[in-house]
Amino acid sequence: MEAWWMCEVPYPHVPKAVLDEADSVRASLPNRYCDPRIAADLFEEAIDEYLLCDEMGLNVCATEHHAGINSLLGANPMLVGILARQTRKARILSLGTLVSLRREPVRVAEEYATADVISRGRLELGFVKSGGTEMASANVNPINNIERYWEAIDLIAKALSHQDGPFSWEGKHFTHRHVNIWPRPWQKQLRMWAATGDPHTAAEVGRRGMVHTLVLRGPEGTRRAYAAYRNARAEAGLPPASSESFAYSAFVCVGDTEEEGRRVGEKLLWFLNTSLKSAPQYARLLPGTAPPHVAGQAWRTRPKPAAVGPDLVNAEKGVATASANARKLVSITVEEAMAQGILFAGNPDNVFAQIKQFHDDVGGFGHLTMIGRTGFMTHAESEKSIRLFGREVLPRLKEIERVTV
Amino acid sequence: MKVDGSIAAVRVRDIDLEVVRRGTGRTILFLHGFHTLEPEAPFLELLSRKAFVLAPSHPGFGASARPDDFETVYDLVHLYRELIDSLPDDKITLVGASFGGWLAAEIAASCPHRLERLVLISPLGIKLSDRETPDILDVFNNHPDVVRRLSWHDPERSAPDFDALSDEALTRHARNRDALCLYGWEPYMYNPRLKRWLGRIALPTLVLWGASDGVVTPAYGRAYAAHIPGARFELIDRAGHHPEIEQPDALADRILDFVTSEMP
Repeated sequence: MEAWWMCEVPYPHVPKAVLDEADSVRASLPNRYCDPRIAADLFEEAIDEYLLCDEMGLNVCATEHHAGINSLLGANPMLVGILARQTRKARILSLGTLVSLRREPVRVAEEYATADVISRGRLELGFVKSGGTEMASANVNPINNIERYWEAIDLIAKALSHQDGPFSWEGKHFTHRHVNIWPRPWQKQLRMWAATGDPHTAAEVGRRGMVHTLVLRGPEGTRRAYAAYRNARAEAGLPPASSESFAYSAFVCVGDTEEEGRRVGEKLLWFLNTSLKSAPQYARLLPGTAPPHVAGQAWRTRPKPAAVGPDLVNAEKGVATASANARKLVSITVEEAMAQGILFAGNPDNVFAQIKQFHDDVGGFGHLTMIGRTGFMTHAESEKSIRLFGREVLPRLKEIERVTV
Repeated sequence: MKVDGSIAAVRVRDIDLEVVRRGTGRTILFLHGFHTLEPEAPFLELLSRKAFVLAPSHPGFGASARPDDFETVYDLVHLYRELIDSLPDDKITLVGASFGGWLAAEIAASCPHRLERLVLISPLGIKLSDRETPDILDVFNNHPDVVRRLSWHDPERSAPDFDALSDEALTRHARNRDALCLYGWEPYMYNPRLKRWLGRIALPTLVLWGASDGVVTPAYGRAYAAHIPGARFELIDRAGHHPEIEQPDALADRILDFVTSEMP
């Protein structure tokens, strides 16, 4: 198993009274609450942590989120470019610039090709569907978001692999008559990842053979999504995937002692307890979030008498939407988070045991994408966790054999 | 032909539209706004006392089908031009409210020859203010409480009580929002090209506006009407953005007076 470190560079330094007062900590919170001097320190620390990961044998992963306290990484390719130059061994996963928010997939391909060349072939491309507040902050239509997602991926993939002069693209959402990017990427074929919990998308990810990562879904949701991936491959007559094609994202914190790992690990839950707050128009009332027969129920202000309340479980897909999944996780405790398989924390032996147990429970995965720093976790605490993880946990994870699943 | 106000399906090209048909007399085609009207809506009943009212639900709204490749105002304009062409009348009166008012203005600007008169009720569809001043309240990116407050003259009396709605009505509500979002997300509820062509509307035109409309203000309405040669602008008192729901009597009276008046 490989490990990938990520820090979303959150900005927790907004007065609590402001956060409590605001109906959304994303999209609409004025940026006067973001002090660029503090932000500069946060970026510097986060990049130093990435460089330490490079030293310790971890790979690195950079995400993208917009206009909120949960993350300052609105411009993912800029961080990816820095990591491409400053790291030396680590593979670099962009997970990813949010392609359904971006108007020019060819420009995305240029950014990625450049980063791949600068890193001499260490780039991996991840694609995330986006949603919620980001429809407002990027001014993009939520109804056909998925269509744009796949079309952008197709165009980026072709732009990164085509070497025979300009080609033309006249798709439904993107048109570009003269695509011919320089430099072409270092790697002939860049490995692609997708983060999704819904089996419709997971099936397509499976047919395409992308690495499928599940974020904070726990064993049951993860098993179900992996199964959708595998079944789609089987139905399409494609060869079975190995555990290399599966990844799982969770909070990870390693301490010298069990107590320290859990105490510091608790700080990671800030992500769930504070950074997810979204006004209803960006979340459950956003068009396209769920099929109409489900979405309509979200307009009720109180549960229907003698019935279950609004629940954005997508009946068609059989799983919770990302926002419904997130809502369930608000106010979670360390013990609950560990029991649900979204936090691996404690001393090195126990963290390894927790990850191994989860790995076995879901049928195996080849990549752990670890949310290692968020909220008020300090730089020193992060570096300590990285060192302990790299020294004590990672060598044992690397021994977990690839399995056909 | 059914004229009792029941819902029927009308096929236009390859699309089955849910349609309310009601009354007898000259034909009024009513194009709805953010939401479809109930078949028993007082506004439709009042109009139908002196006219034959045809009120389709746009594709994707209510129970009307929407093919996957039907997703723009351009598609809607062509659909309704085809529907108008299929009617036995030489000419009809076209009435559109809000989003449907935008459609009505587009249709009137592109194909006035099948229209006798045009009524626009708080129409959307054009950009008037400077680039940093939105004309039209964003009903997607604003909190629903804000949208509710600005949409109605008297929200307590007029706004829907979602807790009292049936599951079916809530499903329709969500389906309507999805379709509206698809058609109107960007540019938000207007066609940058339409304003230039409103001058082509050579029809007797009445522009009606809820005096308390906070979605698009009466000032926008006056300026809109000024782009249509000879258009008359009138306010409807004690109404917000949906006068067809808040003041159906006053609205229907004005429209019927206009429709039955002598041609100027």
